[in-house]
Amino acid sequence: MCYFCDEYGDPEYGNGIWYLNPKNHARNMYKLRLPGEGFKGADAGLETGVREGPSILDLINATEKGDYEEYDRMKKTMQARGQGSQVLPLKDADEVLELCSPIGLIGCICRKDVRAIDERNEEEYTCMGMGVGMLKWERWPERYKGGVKFVNIEEAKEWNHKMDKRGFVHILMLFGAPFIGGFCQCDYPDCGALRTAVDFGLGTLKSHYVAEVDYETCNGCGICAQRCQFGALKFEVTSEKANIDQFKCYGCGLCETGCPREAIKLVDRKSLPALAEVWT
Amino acid sequence: MITARKFPKITVDLEKCTVPFLCKKCLQICPTVVFHVTRVMAKEERLKEMDPRIDGNYVLFAPRRDKCIMCNKCIEVCPVDAIKIEVG
Repeated sequence: MCYFCDEYGDPEYGNGIWYLNPKNHARNMYKLRLPGEGFKGADAGLETGVREGPSILDLINATEKGDYEEYDRMKKTMQARGQGSQVLPLKDADEVLELCSPIGLIGCICRKDVRAIDERNEEEYTCMGMGVGMLKWERWPERYKGGVKFVNIEEAKEWNHKMDKRGFVHILMLFGAPFIGGFCQCDYPDCGALRTAVDFGLGTLKSHYVAEVDYETCNGCGICAQRCQFGALKFEVTSEKANIDQFKCYGCGLCETGCPREAIKLVDRKSLPALAEVWT
Repeated sequence: MITARKFPKITVDLEKCTVPFLCKKCLQICPTVVFHVTRVMAKEERLKEMDPRIDGNYVLFAPRRDKCIMCNKCIEVCPVDAIKIEVG
């Protein structure tokens, strides 16, 4: 079972999927930070989100030294800190957007950090902040340099569909579980969360679905292969059809939404016993 | 399981590289996204907005040196000759 659903799901809502449980979007989920406490609430901001303990840099140094024991020990520590995000397909994202409030479009911090892309207006924003934490955005002038555009549910969905069309993976971000503080639009390698997940299997959980190709309908056009950010989908030369490695698939559904023939469907991860516990 | 491998050592001379967020040439040319530009923020300064035009407000570093393929494009593109890559 999904680690988040285990703790925050409610069978009464959305088949027990945690982000469809309205309680997790409630205002009182927002955690106030006590003096001296570190990264917890959405107000922490990413600039200050330096967590204690080992980091990706330490994993890289341990790899270089060939220190496997240290590597494993650090990775376990990082895993034990808990996951901070989960991939969502477009249809689930639409449902989440109906539950949360307020919703603000903002600039992406990852693209700013790794490509120095400064998203300064609503035409450029590729990130979304959600929940009551967003009301305090002015406290974090560096993070929200480009400002915030608060939108209604319909506008948020429209924006999200536009991002999906462009080919971004949707990732729901937690700022102190189960408080849902953000909704990122990610690609590899620019997005930090997605890159950490793909390169190290840390931080982000796969979605509740995996993609499957219907070989009858697929005509091998190859459009889906351009949309996979996980190296899970490729064009199989032998059969001239799309081929998915479901162990690598994060269930983001970009191949599904990009397919002009509806030849790719998302299926419930739980329906495939070998994949039911593959979350990272 | 990991396989031990030496990674390139990448150093950025911060005396020379002072406004990386405005220059951004290496950040945008790197094929494997090795570089990272970040605000230099002391804890008490975290509520401040940083002006990227001021020397040293943003710093460049290379956290993902494990991905560096040593193509040296960043060295070629750097206008102030601040980046050094050595074989690990």
